[in-house]
Amino acid sequence: MDTAFAQRRRRDLIVAACLAAIAALVPLFVKDVYVQNIMVLTLMYAALSQSWNILSGYCGQISLGHALYFGLGAYTTALLFTKFGVLPWFGMLGGGLISAAIALALGYPCFRLRGHYFVIATIVIAETALLLFQNWEWAGAALGIDIPVRGDSWLKFQFTRSKLPYFYFALVLACIAWFVTWWLEDSKWGYWWRAVKDNPDAAESLGVVVFNSKMGAAAVSAFLTAVGGSFYAQFVSYIDPESVMGFQFSLLMALPAVLGGIGTLWGPVLGALILIPLTELTRSFIGGSGRGVDLIVYGALIVLISLARPQGLVGLFSRRRKEAVR
Amino acid sequence: MIISRRNVLLGATASAALLPIAARAQTSDVVIGVIYPLSGASAQIGVDAQKAFETAAEIINKNFDFELPLARGDGLPGLGGARIRLVFADHQADPQKGRAEAERLITQEKVCAVIGTYQSAVAVTVSQICERYQIPFLSADNSSPSLHRRGLKFYFRASPHDEMYSKAMFDFFDAMRKKGVKIDTLSLFHEDTIFGTDSGNAQTKLASERGYKVISDIKYRANSPSLSAEVQQLKAANADVLMPSSYTTDGILLVKTMGELGYRPPAIVAQDAGFSEKALYDAVGDKLEGVISRGTFSLDLAAKRPMVGKINDMFKQKSGKDLNDYSSRQFMALIVMADAINRAKSIDGEKIREALVATDLPGEETIMPWKRIKFDEMGQNNDADPVLLQYVGGKFVTIFPPQAAVAEAVWPMK
Amino acid sequence: MTAETIVQSLASGLLMGLLYGLIAVGLALIFGLMDVVNFAHGEFLMIAMYATFFLFAFFAVDPLLSAPLVAAALFMFGAVVYLLVVRFAMRAKANAGMVQIFSTFGLAIVMRGLAQFFFTPDYRSITHSWLGGKTVSIAGIFLPVPQLFGALVAIAAFVALWFFINRTDFGRALEATREDAGAVALVGIDKNRVFALGWGLGAALVGLAGAIMAIFFYIYPDVGASFALIAYVTVALGGFGSVFGAFAGGLVVGLVEATTALVLPPSLKSVGIYAVYLLVVFVRPRGLFGSL
Repeated sequence: MDTAFAQRRRRDLIVAACLAAIAALVPLFVKDVYVQNIMVLTLMYAALSQSWNILSGYCGQISLGHALYFGLGAYTTALLFTKFGVLPWFGMLGGGLISAAIALALGYPCFRLRGHYFVIATIVIAETALLLFQNWEWAGAALGIDIPVRGDSWLKFQFTRSKLPYFYFALVLACIAWFVTWWLEDSKWGYWWRAVKDNPDAAESLGVVVFNSKMGAAAVSAFLTAVGGSFYAQFVSYIDPESVMGFQFSLLMALPAVLGGIGTLWGPVLGALILIPLTELTRSFIGGSGRGVDLIVYGALIVLISLARPQGLVGLFSRRRKEAVR
Repeated sequence: MIISRRNVLLGATASAALLPIAARAQTSDVVIGVIYPLSGASAQIGVDAQKAFETAAEIINKNFDFELPLARGDGLPGLGGARIRLVFADHQADPQKGRAEAERLITQEKVCAVIGTYQSAVAVTVSQICERYQIPFLSADNSSPSLHRRGLKFYFRASPHDEMYSKAMFDFFDAMRKKGVKIDTLSLFHEDTIFGTDSGNAQTKLASERGYKVISDIKYRANSPSLSAEVQQLKAANADVLMPSSYTTDGILLVKTMGELGYRPPAIVAQDAGFSEKALYDAVGDKLEGVISRGTFSLDLAAKRPMVGKINDMFKQKSGKDLNDYSSRQFMALIVMADAINRAKSIDGEKIREALVATDLPGEETIMPWKRIKFDEMGQNNDADPVLLQYVGGKFVTIFPPQAAVAEAVWPMK
Repeated sequence: MTAETIVQSLASGLLMGLLYGLIAVGLALIFGLMDVVNFAHGEFLMIAMYATFFLFAFFAVDPLLSAPLVAAALFMFGAVVYLLVVRFAMRAKANAGMVQIFSTFGLAIVMRGLAQFFFTPDYRSITHSWLGGKTVSIAGIFLPVPQLFGALVAIAAFVALWFFINRTDFGRALEATREDAGAVALVGIDKNRVFALGWGLGAALVGLAGAIMAIFFYIYPDVGASFALIAYVTVALGGFGSVFGAFAGGLVVGLVEATTALVLPPSLKSVGIYAVYLLVVFVRPRGLFGSL
């Protein structure tokens, strides 16, 4: 029995595989390191935004504090490596598990909160973590952690000049995040989420089941975000609380999904493809003047896109265009 | 559909990236990258920095009768009169963005050297990437002591770091004590980012080594909306000396709050930063008669070295302000780097590095009250003598060390 | 830790808290009215501070005199922002919450960029004003006059607002429009007009706060950011949709901030506020007095 739904899902999978294959070939043709840097960041944000989308888009629990998990992932990897010599591959796993555990612990009290109360709770929790790390001597406090890079090594996941390993890792991460989302769409959890979105009161009667699925979404989302954070620590080889746990990171994880289409499979990818190069290019080529013009351009574009296409840009590609404005 | 759009986007970016390279094939300028915060909370510093670097570039590129390297004659004689061309980039106080910009400047703009960055956190990543590309990086105004201790060969810093600055402050305290002034207790007031943390650590260490008691150590969050609670604790401690390590915004709020709560310490000895910025004195200067700050530069040097005054006028014309601690260091950084490139007679990174290592500039040929500029094996100039300046009658007066001082310290503050 | 230190800290915290409440109440009003969180609220404060500064710098108008002017100017600005931006954001059926958040967030970035472009990033201060720099001492407790004045204005504003919302026709129209925009239209009330005026009022309140703060705080393009988060937490703590909640929230935030700084290193004083917020909403998911 081949429903339209199943057909779409197969098509999505094929498209994703093709895109990934093409993306994998791009660095072989584009050699400029600055452009490669933008590509790595784009893939990283695509992965992060996709992870964020699982909780905030599909589940409807808008989080603006995901920098917490990102930072935890970064710090776990960095601390384990610099203090105990643990390889980043294990550090990533550790960071992911710690973040998932914290997401579960926080989810329990936080999911009772509705709407804006929940959003603000996520913001203040992330800020609290930032302040704690900023004052935690053992973790470097404000001085941050400098990860020594002594040459290329896959074991230690550090490379002095080449961006290609980072590119491929970020690509793999983005694919994994996408695949998890794809898989969840057709799972029991996905089913509950759609049901609750269509009929919020149903959530009351479905009670525990829905709650458990939300917890699951939070854990998965936190895990993937933390892995992204670990990646970032290895990519930049220096982290401090402001740069990995700041509010601007939380926003930057949400923005691609919102612009691309929150709660959709392709939204975060599309959003990242547009937003990240835009951010980087406006800063590099307009920002040098010190007049704030790049901010004006960047902000104006965010306003225009979010107003003009509230359902996200992914709606432009959809054959079934839903009526999205009153 | 999605596929083709993405390729177009990537293709467009790649071609845009190649354009500057094609356009620059004709000139023989010496290109130097300058990375500063040009937007966000510290944008004012970045914008002022641009003016400082532009002043230095003008002096190098044109003929000026100053006893300063490369001032006389046009451009760099060692490279046939080649001119310095500056390329500015904005790091937005983010280490990752700083690194991306440094990499862009090195690979696309083909800079032969990089100077920066104000925030020490950004200097960490920028210096790392410069090391990897073997491009010399000169830390113009980063004061974190850990920066030159990371085993980097291409890292250089002509100016002092926080341990040197704090040592000067305590040398001053020792000298005052010998004169019979009572200095037993200290209050430390420092913000919670790298600058404040390094400063607090250095001061705590020196205090215990030299026999001063830190009776109050207040660490506060930078850019707090309110400092009432913090100032109240300082007031209650009532130490002989208040030692703030604050940027401009917090410095202004600190002084205003002190006025509001009626707290007047006998002396304030500041770790520069906000306390060398005109904006702070415009805002609360009337309450700061007698405040002392450590510094790298003092304008009253112009009396002994007229070129300092003339260069200050040039800078003032561009920026509307006098040279201060930051702009003076930024200015000197370009001079030092250009001088090294000139001696290297090459824009090759390794040759410039060797020239930097061989640098030995006497203090009189700079605008600084330093003994000389000579880098040790870690890239640090240990002969950059800090000075202590006191704000008296609307001007900064050098009061320490004795060989640079033009006046006695006024103690306590009025 | 003397009794004097404690009392002084609490007094300062109280004054600051009332000021936070004044900054927050505009936000609470707008949210209560139309379920929109204005992420550019901090930037409204920044604009108000700059306006006050320029009136002082170019026309030597004391902030006390310019406060009503600034409030009026912000009123118009708020209405314009609604008509040009927020009105469209609210039409989104899909992801309404996110669209509102991000369109106002984008607006905040634009405003900061424009401020840097036109005003430069230099820090400004109002150096001479009637209240600036003055402080009264009561039984050894110092109360800075600008903050004292600000606290009184905050209280007066809350009282006035309460009367306005509960006792006037327009105020009741605001309430009714929130409840059911469709029904209100049937009665002949133009929803857009009501909302624009609501935004104007919310902006005017933060304008008032900005004018007073310009007396004693420094001004630069990013100044709003420091206060924005506190404003959101204050409103959420007090309960979205409740003007009295913003007032109470402000008091709680101010006092908790001061108390935390006494027991923890001051760099962690915000953690106290955040912890209290979380505790409150875990027990009362709608904030202290929230009705939504």
